Amino acid sequence: MLVLETKNLSFSYPDGTLALDDINISIEKGKKIAFVGRNGSGKSTLFLTMNGTYRPKEGNILFHGKPMKYDSKSLREIRKNIGIVFQNSDDQIFAPTIYQDVAFGPTNLGYSKDKVKSIVHKTLEYVGLMDLKDRPPHHLSGGQKKRVAIAGIVAMDPEIIILDEPLANLDPVGADEVMDLLNELNYFGKTIIISTHDVNLAYGWADYVFLMNDHKIISEGTPEAIFTQDDNLKAAYLRRPITLEIYEEIKRRGLVKPDCCPRDIPDLVQSLRTQQLLWVKVSSEVKEGDYVNLGIMYGDYAPISSFAAVNGKVLHLHEDGLAIVVVDMKAYKSGSVGIYDTERYSKENLMDIISRDEIDCIGAMGKMSKILAKRDGIHLDINAGAVDRSILNSLAGQRCLILTNGGMVFHALERIKAYVEKSGIAIPVSVVNPKQKVPETQVSTES
Amino acid sequence: MAHMLDDYAVMSPLRYKNNWLKVAIVTFGLLVGVSSNSPLVPFLIAICMSFATIYFGKIPVSFYLKILVAPAGFVLVSAVIIAFFFGEGAKLFSFNLFDFTLGVSSAGLNMALLVLARTLGGMSCLFFLSLTTPMIELFSVLKATKLPDSFIEVSMMMYRYIFVFLEVAIAVQYAQSVRLGYKDFKTSFRSMVMLSSNLFIRSWEQGEKIYISMNSRCYDGKLIMLDEKRPLKKPELILTMAYFVLIILVFYFSRGISVF
Repeated sequence: MLVLETKNLSFSYPDGTLALDDINISIEKGKKIAFVGRNGSGKSTLFLTMNGTYRPKEGNILFHGKPMKYDSKSLREIRKNIGIVFQNSDDQIFAPTIYQDVAFGPTNLGYSKDKVKSIVHKTLEYVGLMDLKDRPPHHLSGGQKKRVAIAGIVAMDPEIIILDEPLANLDPVGADEVMDLLNELNYFGKTIIISTHDVNLAYGWADYVFLMNDHKIISEGTPEAIFTQDDNLKAAYLRRPITLEIYEEIKRRGLVKPDCCPRDIPDLVQSLRTQQLLWVKVSSEVKEGDYVNLGIMYGDYAPISSFAAVNGKVLHLHEDGLAIVVVDMKAYKSGSVGIYDTERYSKENLMDIISRDEIDCIGAMGKMSKILAKRDGIHLDINAGAVDRSILNSLAGQRCLILTNGGMVFHALERIKAYVEKSGIAIPVSVVNPKQKVPETQVSTES
Repeated sequence: MAHMLDDYAVMSPLRYKNNWLKVAIVTFGLLVGVSSNSPLVPFLIAICMSFATIYFGKIPVSFYLKILVAPAGFVLVSAVIIAFFFGEGAKLFSFNLFDFTLGVSSAGLNMALLVLARTLGGMSCLFFLSLTTPMIELFSVLKATKLPDSFIEVSMMMYRYIFVFLEVAIAVQYAQSVRLGYKDFKTSFRSMVMLSSNLFIRSWEQGEKIYISMNSRCYDGKLIMLDEKRPLKKPELILTMAYFVLIILVFYFSRGISVF
């Protein structure tokens, strides 16, 4: 379903400088969209046009198929549904306390005082800033300010959240927290649009990418399609994402399978090709190109996991029933990933599970879980990118536990299941403290 | 960045006490301190208020003394001058400087002590308020005083952006000074001019940005006030009452008593 479209959109500033030149885009509901382009390519102006701040000179904007109108009532409706988080948090957070700033939007929507209060409390809880609600904004760090700015928008419950350079000036952990938050919001059905010039971010995160340069959209498509085309990137004055760069380099050396398009580190690891040739004895009915089962290796012989099923593709049949095979190792038994729902958290329970399941590695996702872990002195091995790291660690035979809550539980489950499906490596994944009556989800696809 | 008065107030545990109680304590202290003609009362008020600020308000003693030093220094100097130049009659002691006879009379000394005590008392009252009640709490007090809404809203936003611009000003000043912008009087002057004009333009731009961002959140001319309910608790009330009674008693019995 299309939520937002622009048709032949052009805009120039009052002094005559052209800022947007014939923009035609359509944005689908519930997607993660990235506008990528170098500084000054028109991203911010496009965003301000999308929420009705700037009125286009030509063309129009369709929200849910209806052209945008510019009377104050329609604008109000548009701005309630399309929230913008500005690049510089200080431009946006103007109230003397965090609470007042987050309450600003809901108050303007005319909600009652009690409703505003409950919304603000819920939102602050959600972004993990409840304990700072009476502080003035200048007491916060950059990452905290950014979360306040996002909370101020989320509190209005918009359909689309637009973020202008959400990770500018954030440290890596702050950036990860913001991205976690955005993923969670997206998982609950919000359409997220960001602008960035960080190709790595756009490539790894987005569902759909628009490349902008010189106030125009120069190409659009899935990240794989966009970022593998060097011409596109050159035209937009951008670089190739680092994962692709690495992939291309090792592909040239013949170390990876061709035609993969790894978007993150687990993908990249998955694309690696084992490069061992072996002489093996095969039975007489085996033909060239067949696969032969070579058994199971473990320990030092199975670097990818604790146990590896070894198959060989026959390249060449020799006399005396010997053949040259290329070894193909697949993790046979990996570690596991458990997901702990912190909504039903108690320290004893968690400690029981950690010792019962012999957990090697604990990670947390979402601000609430991190705060809990810090409060109760639970050492976190993974602080950022919990799902990816847990997959990698469990591939190396570790048992991982991810502390998270709410919708993130299912989000994490699905991400891991998707990996299992794509790679064919069985990673046992389950919610370790399920709700009553919910059976454990056990995913294991045999390769 | 160094902590400012307001930062201490934000962190102080007394912040979460009833604002009106604090305002009442301070007003009472100021009025009684000024109307007493014995230095004993304002001294007592100064001691009580300082104790409350440091002990209940958890303000570091070193910081408290530091902010007290500047005004206290002024007062001491003026007290000495008052002691010498006020009051007629018998001198307690005197000496000759060139052809003048400088001396201190008991009336002058009393006057000096009273000024000293009143100033200290008043200051410690105001410090108590400013170190335990941050601006953000005072806005709701202002609101209740029926000042126009737009006045309070503008002051709320001014409060917020003072800190933003302070940060910018410090950064710009640093950038200037590392390029020797303050090497002598003339360059300092030029740098200051550039800094202030830069800040002016920035605040202009910031204003436009805030307007856009507020509009993006459907601004319709209403800001929300922080009106946390902070109910009076019995111990606080009893303590305050005891303090009031003590001061009034001392006020009553020290009428007309002079130290010298």
